[in-house]
Amino acid sequence: MDRNQRNTSILHTLGEEIVRIITPVSICMLSVVILVSILDTDSSISSSISTIATIAYTEDTSDSEWDKFKGALLNSLVFVAVVTAVTFLLVLLFYFNCTKFLKYYMGFSAFLVLGFMGGEIGIFLIQVFKFAIDCFTYLLLLLNFAIVGVFAVFMSKFPIFVTQSYMVVIGVLTAYWFTMLPEWTTWVLLVAMALYDLAAVLLPGGPLRLLVELAISRDEDIPALVYEARPIFDPGSNTTVQRRTWRDRDRRGNPESQTTGPQVGSETVGSSQNVEEGNVHELSVPLIERVRDHGLQPENLGIEGIGLGSLGAIKLGLGDFIFYSVLVGRAAMYDFMTVYACYLAIIAGLGITLILLALYQKALPALPVSVLLGVLFYVLTRVFLEEFVVQCSSKLLMF
Amino acid sequence: MMERSREIMERSSEEGIPSEAAVLINPRHDQNANLNPIIASSSSSSSLRPEWPTIDGPLGLSEQDSVGYARKFFGFGFLLLPLLWAVNCYYFWPVLRHSTSFPRIRPYVVGSAIGFTVFSAMLASWAVTFTVGGERLFGHAWDELVMYNVADRYGLTGIF
Repeated sequence: MDRNQRNTSILHTLGEEIVRIITPVSICMLSVVILVSILDTDSSISSSISTIATIAYTEDTSDSEWDKFKGALLNSLVFVAVVTAVTFLLVLLFYFNCTKFLKYYMGFSAFLVLGFMGGEIGIFLIQVFKFAIDCFTYLLLLLNFAIVGVFAVFMSKFPIFVTQSYMVVIGVLTAYWFTMLPEWTTWVLLVAMALYDLAAVLLPGGPLRLLVELAISRDEDIPALVYEARPIFDPGSNTTVQRRTWRDRDRRGNPESQTTGPQVGSETVGSSQNVEEGNVHELSVPLIERVRDHGLQPENLGIEGIGLGSLGAIKLGLGDFIFYSVLVGRAAMYDFMTVYACYLAIIAGLGITLILLALYQKALPALPVSVLLGVLFYVLTRVFLEEFVVQCSSKLLMF
Repeated sequence: MMERSREIMERSSEEGIPSEAAVLINPRHDQNANLNPIIASSSSSSSLRPEWPTIDGPLGLSEQDSVGYARKFFGFGFLLLPLLWAVNCYYFWPVLRHSTSFPRIRPYVVGSAIGFTVFSAMLASWAVTFTVGGERLFGHAWDELVMYNVADRYGLTGIF
């Protein structure tokens, strides 16, 4: 009877949890696609941005494809190198317990993204729609938006819905900025970041793996921007569904830190008896903001990877949101057909990652499967499917 | 079930209509007379007294912590942050909804609600006047104040 209850409760809660993580990812991607379609800043602005991601090579439309590819490769290598360096810096800071500094930095970067990026995109929208708002009202609204966003990111106890919305908004704004990079650079960068994520999490010397092990051994939360889904309220036992987490309070006082396999302790909240298997791992990848000509700007603390939050709900790093949305946004700059294909590829990749998570019970990156599938589908759609669909519709054969 | 029987008791004793339930319950009416004042006060609100002051329910704050949070949000909202007042009202919606619960938190939440309505009314009236009035009302100053001109003038779209 108990096993039956557990089986039905797994089925009952697992679908709801997956939906609760796929919904914000889809909303983020949809918003970026809408922004990209409305604003259409590909031609004018993108040629003038100078960032870390274009420091090695500025794409010129007159170059040959091989040159563009080489330039994009160079750009991506530089970007990944900078990201690796900053992640090692993050590991170092976390090792020396500078958690407060990291938290303040997180709040500061959230303010930058919401205030400056949000303000700029707002101005674009105003210009496109010719909306006659005056500067005082606009500034006031923008400041409100940014400061409440900093509160949402900073404070631990805030309305869950508001925090989740702000996370999605930060993802949308950063992803939109990334879509302003040149085309070849974006695609090669996505693949490079997927491979970097794979290496950083699974290799023994990878910075993200070190970070996760540190967090586990200290039983601490890594301060970073993460989207945490609302935990399922199990009607059967009248408590939230708890999962066995890496950072369980081991009742038997076992001081060893385990890096593979879940700890055997079980966490009970009140009268909860529903303890299921799960993982927790938090990975962080800093996001690089745009660089002005005369210096480096401070970097965002993004996060990639899937795990379990402190309330036992599914947690997805903001870096994943951002790179998924960049992929779909770039696909939207070509045509909506590629958008649909890439969206399906990314959701399938996310599902596969969740299954692998349940299977391997280890720290797993969420980028590689989805991004590689997404890029593959983009290329296939553009090369094969588009030709087929266009021919069919112009010959009035289908659709 | 307990609640319903008490309500039936109270209603029947008020209206004096002999109903089935009243006939069954009336003999015990005197014993339960001291429960009536409590029943009267709790049935004035449309539902039971909520257990959690925040909208997140058991995932949110406890009542003791809520007082500090509500007070801080209310205070910070005076720094020209009406959105924080709105978030305060949203977060403590059960406090606003049930008028007799959580007496320590209620003043701050009600203050936030009033502040938010007043501020947004003023802001909306100014913004609508500006948008609708246009150059006819403001003359030369309208061109200087409208956001897209300001953005062009100071090159704000090139920051990032």
